[in-house]
Amino acid sequence: MTKDNVQGAGEEEQQAQSKKALKKQQKEAEKAAKKAEKQAKLAAEQQEADEDDFAKDRYGICPMVQSQQKLDRALVRVQDLTPEKAEQQIWVRARIHTSRAKGKQCFLVLRHQQFTVQALLAVGDRASKQMVKFAANLTKESIIDVEAVVKKVEQKIESCSQQDVELHVERIFVISQSEARLPLQLEDAVRPEGEGDEEGRATVNQDTRLDNRVIDLRTTTSQAIFRLQSGVCQLFRDTLINKGFVEIQTPKIISAASEGGANVFTVSYFKTSAYLAQSPQLYKQMCICADFDKVFCVGPVFRAEDSNTHRHLTEFVGLDIEMAFNYHYHEVIDSITDTMVQIFKGLRDRFQTEIQMVNKQYPSEPFKFLEPTLRLEYKEAVAMLKAAGVEMGDEEDLSTPNEKLLGRLVKDKYDTDFYVLDKYPLAVRPFYTMPDPNNPKYSNSYDMFMRGEEILSGAQRVHDAQLLTERAMHHGIDLEKIKAYIDSFRYGAPPHAGGGIGLERVTMLYLGLHNVRQTSMFPRDPKRLTP
Amino acid sequence: MPMYKVKPVSPADIKIDVPSCMYKSPNVHGHGMNCGEHALQNGEVDPSLKALEERQDEVLRRLYELKATVDGFAKTVTTPDADLDASTPSPGPAESVFRGTADLDSLLGKDLGALRDIVINANPARPPLSLLVLHALLCQRYQVLSSVHVHSSVSAVPPPLLSCLGPRHIDSYARQRFQLGFTLIWKDVSELQMKFSTQSMCPIEGEANVARFLFRLLGAEPQDPAAATQMDCWIDKAVFQLSEGGSKDRAAVLRSLNAALGRSPWLLGQEFSLADIVCACFVLRASQTTSAPVNVQRWLKSCQNLGHFDCVYPLLQ
Repeated sequence: MTKDNVQGAGEEEQQAQSKKALKKQQKEAEKAAKKAEKQAKLAAEQQEADEDDFAKDRYGICPMVQSQQKLDRALVRVQDLTPEKAEQQIWVRARIHTSRAKGKQCFLVLRHQQFTVQALLAVGDRASKQMVKFAANLTKESIIDVEAVVKKVEQKIESCSQQDVELHVERIFVISQSEARLPLQLEDAVRPEGEGDEEGRATVNQDTRLDNRVIDLRTTTSQAIFRLQSGVCQLFRDTLINKGFVEIQTPKIISAASEGGANVFTVSYFKTSAYLAQSPQLYKQMCICADFDKVFCVGPVFRAEDSNTHRHLTEFVGLDIEMAFNYHYHEVIDSITDTMVQIFKGLRDRFQTEIQMVNKQYPSEPFKFLEPTLRLEYKEAVAMLKAAGVEMGDEEDLSTPNEKLLGRLVKDKYDTDFYVLDKYPLAVRPFYTMPDPNNPKYSNSYDMFMRGEEILSGAQRVHDAQLLTERAMHHGIDLEKIKAYIDSFRYGAPPHAGGGIGLERVTMLYLGLHNVRQTSMFPRDPKRLTP
Repeated sequence: MPMYKVKPVSPADIKIDVPSCMYKSPNVHGHGMNCGEHALQNGEVDPSLKALEERQDEVLRRLYELKATVDGFAKTVTTPDADLDASTPSPGPAESVFRGTADLDSLLGKDLGALRDIVINANPARPPLSLLVLHALLCQRYQVLSSVHVHSSVSAVPPPLLSCLGPRHIDSYARQRFQLGFTLIWKDVSELQMKFSTQSMCPIEGEANVARFLFRLLGAEPQDPAAATQMDCWIDKAVFQLSEGGSKDRAAVLRSLNAALGRSPWLLGQEFSLADIVCACFVLRASQTTSAPVNVQRWLKSCQNLGHFDCVYPLLQ
């Protein structure tokens, strides 16, 4: 009976085995089938890839340009892409501003400085699927060379600066690839503050911008601001050269502090130490005593003030003027204000595009001025402030809020953003300021204001060595330290006056911006030393 | 020469009875000409002729002087209210017409030790002629610091408009020394505007209203309410009908001006007033001086003779 059982079990086992085996076989079969499918698919794709990439030589990443060859190829700038070039096949080098793929098409926006143009890459007889895929995967900010045909469009492309044309891409090569993760997005950097808060979109805060200045400077707003600043400098030079001024360069490493001991940087100078110039004051005056009559200089100014305000930098560009006059220092004021008015007129007439571009992100009132410039006396300013309810003494200096209020009152009455305040009290001015001949409490000094903020401080200088010594002693200044300065007036010095402006501050106030760091390319303040 | 001889008509030596009441002049054909007569031919003048010429020059000069004096008198007589000072026959700059008094402190507020500056914003396309006349009158009464500016909203202004307030005062560098400031700004405004003390006064708009304000500073407002109302009436006529009205309105105003001026030398009677200033300026600006009625032309001539309108004529071209 066991034999039967065994036999039965054996049979059962056999049956079970065969069932298991069957299952196993089934599984294996399925696996094999799947594998075969996969392989077949891969093979098919491979075939596809191989057989469809007819455009292989029309796209790719170029090897790094090490000047391997000198191509005689003309690259057209984005700003020159206009309907006049329609149907022409041209090469363009630009950055990828955005890229967006949609099925068989890829839309690229190419950007060069402030100008953008739309480019289209579609699967067809000139472009393969792989090429479109490649284009869609390119990282933003990469620099590419594109050969394309310029096509006119019926409907204006509102989002680009070149609104009447579009590029149909034939070849696309990458010259310099950008990393995929950008520290800040350019669209965010150009977005106005209010819009960002309303729509919940991001704007970039100032510190991030300044840390990644290279990318921040690529935005249209920054390009416009610095082109305008370059215009200010150029107009300053041109106007003064036309008036017969001579440009000079003064030393920045000096032996004694010029304005006052507190706010000066010390540098180690071989075995001793020296200072970085707070202003070219002393050297401008020495040039006048050396018979240059009318001089100006453009150069850096270093002020070690620990002020973390919206309008102070530790290093900025100073535009300084000094001029000998015949009988009255108003001749110099007239010259300086005329220069400023010429600068404002030049900016108003030639830089409107840049001003509009900045206004898109930072809206502000256009800058207004009078010709000839309005000149008020300090006493009138005090009277105006008193009438507005401010309590101040007749010989007190104007505090910053008072200056701003005065700016608003002057704007109300005369509708000008630029004016001169003359005859400041003597007590609040430096020791080299010439006192008023009729009233010893006042001085022949003046300040100029733009939008209620001071941009220039100037005066008639004391050109008599004896009076200068008296004034220096009155202010408690060590005569030994300024001996060389006083000596320059002992051998015949003409009466002279002058003043200096800060390039960054003037640009900031002209455009109505609120922080001087926006107009300084790589700003320096007590907390920032790089980039 | 064998010519035929004519018989003499009269005998050669007839004795003529020369009348003795006439004066004798030397015989130029006679014998014995001396060197003095040669000198005549050389261009030198006979002393008696010289004396005669001098007498003639003297007489002519006195004639011209008399003519000038008579001209001056004619002007002053035909222009009512002008200074009839006989000791100055030549027509010099007109004296101040208005002799009333005005207290600047009560009109403009307490003097806070600073220049009281009146700011006027005007469009260079429509220069405010009456205000220029009033400026000239203010300059005679007070020490006025005048300045002209061009606002950045206007790109260029013709030169006559830049010098319309006259030459810059020598002392203009010392603003403190003046009682009043008059700042004219050429700006792109739709309506003329005056600002004085922005904290306590709202801006005044319209040329006529600013003219009324400035006239008050001269202290010459008519005290009689009827006259004051009439003055306002004429000013409004000038503003609304002469300058803003159609040609029919203009003609009507000119007719009423003609009628009023037929009865008296000035619009308000015997006294020159703001009504004359404003109406004359508006008539001049409408440039209908040649086609204006007789009395109006005479009246315009009188205004010109007063000398205050000298600043206006260069701007009319």
